[in-house]
Amino acid sequence: MKEKFISEETVLEEVKKGVAETLNRDKASIGPEDSLMKDLGAESLDFLDITYRLEQTFGIKMARHFVLEHVEEMFGEGSAIDENGQLTDKAVELLKIRAGGDLPAEIHAGMDMDEVPTLVTVKTMTMGVMDILDSLPGACAACGNSAWKTENGVRIVCGSCGANATFDNGDDLMKAWLSKVQEEKKLF
Amino acid sequence: MLTSSSRRRVVITGYGMVTPLGKNTEDTFEKASQGKSGIDYLSRFDTSGLPCRIGGEVNDQWLEKEEDEKSLRLLAFSSRGLRLMAKATREAAGQAGLDHVVKRERIGCVLGFHGDNPSVEDLVLLHRYYDGKGWDSRGLLSLEGYSHLNFLRRKPDVGGAILSRLFRCAGPALSIASACAAGSQAIGESFRIIRDGRADVMIAGGCDSQLNFVGFVGFVLIKALAEKYSTPQKASRPFDRKRSGFVMSEGAGAVILEDLEHARSRGIPILGEVLGYGVSADAYRITDTHPKGLGAVLAMRGAIEDASLSSADIDYINAHGTSTAQNDPTETTAIKEVFGERAREIPVSSNKSMLGHTIGAAGAIEAILTLVGMNRSIILPTINYEFPDPKCDLDYVPNEARRKKHGRALSNSFGFGGQNACLCIGRYDDRDDGPSLCLDSHAP
Repeated sequence: MKEKFISEETVLEEVKKGVAETLNRDKASIGPEDSLMKDLGAESLDFLDITYRLEQTFGIKMARHFVLEHVEEMFGEGSAIDENGQLTDKAVELLKIRAGGDLPAEIHAGMDMDEVPTLVTVKTMTMGVMDILDSLPGACAACGNSAWKTENGVRIVCGSCGANATFDNGDDLMKAWLSKVQEEKKLF
Repeated sequence: MLTSSSRRRVVITGYGMVTPLGKNTEDTFEKASQGKSGIDYLSRFDTSGLPCRIGGEVNDQWLEKEEDEKSLRLLAFSSRGLRLMAKATREAAGQAGLDHVVKRERIGCVLGFHGDNPSVEDLVLLHRYYDGKGWDSRGLLSLEGYSHLNFLRRKPDVGGAILSRLFRCAGPALSIASACAAGSQAIGESFRIIRDGRADVMIAGGCDSQLNFVGFVGFVLIKALAEKYSTPQKASRPFDRKRSGFVMSEGAGAVILEDLEHARSRGIPILGEVLGYGVSADAYRITDTHPKGLGAVLAMRGAIEDASLSSADIDYINAHGTSTAQNDPTETTAIKEVFGERAREIPVSSNKSMLGHTIGAAGAIEAILTLVGMNRSIILPTINYEFPDPKCDLDYVPNEARRKKHGRALSNSFGFGGQNACLCIGRYDDRDDGPSLCLDSHAP
């Protein structure tokens, strides 16, 4: 979106809140770099719970699949995950592009796909929400006016007709991003 | 504690099932031995828009028309799962001549069953009498209310009660709700009840039918179901690298367990023997299995020890093998832990590749298929095994049934939440010291 209606700080606080409520932890003890699984003790079911909370809060639909699963679907089996269930060189290259720079040392070719969920941190979750919020269209789909405003600090609604903003869903955004990267870099 | 020689032996004198693959045990086993799949697109409710649209439905034509008054009356309280159970139990009870057992107070009943899901109709109706703050109870009760019959259909305890009534069992009754382990636990707990002398005969088994919108969507929400498949028949692929979740099915399985001396005194044919039962909890997470399969290890070791055997005596493992990312490698790890070097020599196969996952019924159906296979020297295959997964590196009896003599097997069932059960089942041998130790396990 051209103008950030909801700041990254706000999203980060909401992610921390969702994580804290799901895992029954003190919000103040949660840091942006914390791994949900390794540092905060989340299990797979908790990811869904946190996702649902954030979807309710922001009125969005978050991704249900990891980016590498989409790669496998779009560019063929074996493109991101080899037959041993490990990350390929290209998968690591792609994750580097997605992270916009260096990756943590534990991400490398040959890393077991089962380890990938441990890479989800409070911050990566925040970025996932930001990406979706960034897909806010220029004008309201219901009335055609461009008069977005923020309600309760977290909900974007049309200032003209009151309709809730509509966003692209997380999985679609990820696929669109992958198509763009593929066009530019021809990784796969 | 009783030694193995003085303990009561518990044998199987009847079995029955109804599954997506077949109308009874014979039909199911026959098709399974040909590697057929019972999975197809779901037809009984609208699945459009769902990421998984397949499952294993039981053909309605296989369900007999209830004719006698008692059955018709009880049917009104019964969910679909219980109807399937009544059919499976009739097959088992008929085979065992259960009607002729005189002391009905010595016949018990343990059922693995979770009750029916709330019906959409009830939810819609209730919604009309709730404004978000309070209930219009007077309005609800003055009209039709929601169906009291549906209330009873939702209660797991009603299942055991109806089964006891239908088959006139006045002995110990127990309802078990331990998800995918329920059918196995029902057989295991019944086995212990007979061994402890608390009953002479037990009806044991499990049933489930969650192929309705409310039940199915729950499993969609927790992302447990297969979402990637080329055809419905290819979706359930335990131990294969391209597995993507389990395929939900409905069905029922019932066995008649009996004290050996009691069965002998009746002169009834003995079909097999329950040798041991192991049960454990992961005490870990709700839907994640313990990464090293500690609960599964405890259950398998428990069953083997309970049978006074060692791991070297086991010829075959009927795996839980759900076709989920988590279960299959974890179960493989657990089998390696229990069997060590021998793990790769033991055939391990998953009936769920053909039947899908019948949840509460699975343990009972798989125990019966294990026994029938043993009696016929046939090991059922794991179908859809095409792409090896380096984390699953045992002999999964890929794609085709195998002819092989085998005398003792484990049947694994590991439920959501880490509820684990393992049955040790043996071919019946009429020597007093138990089943023969020297079957030629390497016969072709």
